[in-house]
Amino acid sequence: MVVITTKKPFEEVLDTLKNINRITIVSCATCAALCQTGGTEGAKEMSEKLKEKGFDITTVVVSEDVCDNRVMMKDLRKIDEELSNTDAILTLACGLGVQSVIKVLKKKHPELPVFTANNTEFIGMTERIGRFYKRCAGCGDCLLNETGGICPITTCAKGLMNGPCGGMVKGKCEVGNYEKDCGWVLIYERLKELGRLDLFSKLRAPRDWSESGHQQEVIFR
Amino acid sequence: MTEQKIYSKVGEALAKGEFVLTGELEPEKTCDLSHTIQEAKEMAPYVHAANVTDSPLAIVTINSLAASHIIQEATGIETVWQLTVRDCNKIGLAGMIMGAEALGINNVLSLCGDHTALGDCPESKPVFDMDSATLIQLVREMVDTGSINGKEIEHPPKMHVGGAANPNADPMEAEILKIGRKAEAGCEFIQTQVVYDLDRTIEFLEGIQKYKVPIFLGIFPMKSYGIAKGFDMFVPGVDVPKEILARWKSVKTDISDKAQQKEAYDQLNYEFFKPFISELKSKNLLAGVHCMAVHYTRIFPKLVDVIKA
Ligand code: SF4
Ligand code: SF4
Repeated sequence: MVVITTKKPFEEVLDTLKNINRITIVSCATCAALCQTGGTEGAKEMSEKLKEKGFDITTVVVSEDVCDNRVMMKDLRKIDEELSNTDAILTLACGLGVQSVIKVLKKKHPELPVFTANNTEFIGMTERIGRFYKRCAGCGDCLLNETGGICPITTCAKGLMNGPCGGMVKGKCEVGNYEKDCGWVLIYERLKELGRLDLFSKLRAPRDWSESGHQQEVIFR
Repeated sequence: MTEQKIYSKVGEALAKGEFVLTGELEPEKTCDLSHTIQEAKEMAPYVHAANVTDSPLAIVTINSLAASHIIQEATGIETVWQLTVRDCNKIGLAGMIMGAEALGINNVLSLCGDHTALGDCPESKPVFDMDSATLIQLVREMVDTGSINGKEIEHPPKMHVGGAANPNADPMEAEILKIGRKAEAGCEFIQTQVVYDLDRTIEFLEGIQKYKVPIFLGIFPMKSYGIAKGFDMFVPGVDVPKEILARWKSVKTDISDKAQQKEAYDQLNYEFFKPFISELKSKNLLAGVHCMAVHYTRIFPKLVDVIKA
């Protein structure tokens, strides 16, 4: 599993860094490295581009797990002095990474702004580097056991519980010019293969959003 | 449909076993419905009811519930209010169903709706909180139990609910099983997508017979060669057979007089649909016909003849 990120347009990053001179880069060596939006390479590339635009790069940290508060705590402690001489942190990580850095720095450096150079797209399945697919949206009530292991939330453009809809033509979906497979036809074919069309015939209730609430958390200890 | 539950002319016709003919009205991006009202007036003498579309292709039009009400008030025609699950969540949908009752709308067609990405506000959020099957279930819950989620509705809605089916769907079996879900949800009639392929239509309709839901066959009489060609090109998944296109084309090329052209087109539609529908009726596969051709109201007297046994 990888949190898939893409680069924000560099112009947008520059716009965010307006009125800032000294920058510390925190780059993720895990998911973002795989997506080529972080890691050692990404950090190097970003440093050079920013230097060209006249920024001072205070320091660069490449961290194994930017989204893990414990790892961040350890890695940022090592550059505590540099952090007193920087104007902002630019993270090359996912949205979790940015917020992890902010959380960890809250006590010692609450004045430091933390920005991101990336857009976080989805949690993805890796086919190979550079090919990632959204096949789970973490809906909290997994239906895969009933849909032949194909996720209707992410493979159906409408996230329907009872497809296919009228937009299906020869197994393809109306969204995206009939280029992508209709998720519900994939489910039909898979269940047919498994001899479980009884599951396909089942009328499914709408998704229950009552627990989807605010600031979700899983706490088991 | 059991006899004690008749809420509309469509419901009454179904209960009596009368063959139903419905038309389609497509309000556009305007708050003035006079054109649609004019068409409704023209088809009113011939049809049991007319569908009022809900922003087809996700292109914003006047709200279909408001339009249904205005059209009914202005013309006396009964409407089948089309409602998609694209734009509202369960609270919004249930609220509109109650609003429909208050406005005198007693037929609703539950639809999924074209995806927002296809329309003229592609940036808007596709809702799809429910789907076309569970919306049918919701209507039936509100009508039959007079409650929603177990909470009583003081004056519950009274209406019939239908759903859509696509005989052109490939794979067909997936579509047939889907109709089974709609039947289980309490669907009272099925309106099909437009069909031109008789063999396929028979295969599909026979496939869904077991669910015992009355079927209204969707047809699209073509007013001109241009419309036929456009329909063939721009309606995904529905092909107008080549020989039909050729026949329509010959009217355009061979007849120069406009009035004669019109008559020839009307006649071609008659000749095509008469045997098509007779065949399906003789097999007892139909409860009615739904004509989706908009802006072609002059065809209705002929259609009345077409659907006669
Ligand atoms: S149904 Fe889909 S989105 Fe939900 S948990 Fe399962 S795979 Fe993830
Ligand atoms: S065509 Fe298939 S994948 Fe696309 S929205 Fe409809 S059911 Fe979902």
